[in-house]
Amino acid sequence: MTTHDTDVQAEAGTGATGSHTEHGSHIGIYITIFLTLSVLTVVEVFVPDIYSAEWNAHTKMLLLCILAVTKALLVGLFFMHLKWEKPWLKYIALTPVYMGIFAIFLMLETAFRGPGG
Amino acid sequence: MSTAAVAHADHGHDDEPPVDEHFGHATGGKVAMWMFIAQDGMSFGGLLTAYALLRINSVDWPVPAEILGIGLTAFATFILICSSLTMVLAVEKAKARDQAGTARWLGLTILGGLIFLGIQVFEYMHLVDAGIGFAQSSWQGVEINDRFGSTFYAVTGFHGLHVFSGVVYLTCILLGTLKGKYTQGGISYSAVELVGLFWHFVDLVWILVFTFVYLL
Repeated sequence: MTTHDTDVQAEAGTGATGSHTEHGSHIGIYITIFLTLSVLTVVEVFVPDIYSAEWNAHTKMLLLCILAVTKALLVGLFFMHLKWEKPWLKYIALTPVYMGIFAIFLMLETAFRGPGG
Repeated sequence: MSTAAVAHADHGHDDEPPVDEHFGHATGGKVAMWMFIAQDGMSFGGLLTAYALLRINSVDWPVPAEILGIGLTAFATFILICSSLTMVLAVEKAKARDQAGTARWLGLTILGGLIFLGIQVFEYMHLVDAGIGFAQSSWQGVEINDRFGSTFYAVTGFHGLHVFSGVVYLTCILLGTLKGKYTQGGISYSAVELVGLFWHFVDLVWILVFTFVYLL
């Protein structure tokens, strides 16, 4: 896999330059993002074990949410090229975030009153 | 697109689509795909919101990790991340007019999708066998909150449908690649880029589903 990737990197480095200079050298970034996503996934799997105690529940939730949002951002910004797009495309991409904010708002009541109440 | 813009795309700097005031060099297809992705994200948002509300307001929600196989699903997650990498490499190859390379990486992306679906089918069969149904659930012979199974299948099943659609979509693009349609230079690669956007979105949603449904 590693030799192959280096091979690809070398090929694309020569093949995609010229008129596409700003897109030409992304392969190194893609591989870095891929490795970061893999490492973060491994970290994520161990978080519930490390913070399994009841009194750690909030830390566990917060950490897992931060890890998930970070991974989602990496995919969106780099694999989906949002980092290199104009603001308008980013605004379109951000619209589902409203749903997340709405969900948090809806959960606030239970968060304060406790479940089943 | 005006006739002048078509002429511009056909002759002048045909490596870039015409520049739009708000969207720069993004093609109409790319803007359309992003709008589709945004509304599809809203659909997932609706399902995940319903799941979150049902779960947070229940007193007997099972611990997902005790029922669901985290290790196997983490592996499936890794497969999807790998397929995102092969997808971006396919786009790079299409940009570089490398037909064989594009086809190879698209093929590997499809393979990743199929492995993911295979794991999901295996997981569903195992869970249904163990008593977790669409509407009624029991675990180790004891009745559990039915909504655990309902929300699990609704969210992961809807995602699985996306993976399935993605595999079909990728296969269509692979066939076009084998005919040489997307490696002719200019913006001919954009069809590969668009299927890539959809595929990465499916990966992105899974990252969130894996966290909210399996790990939390």
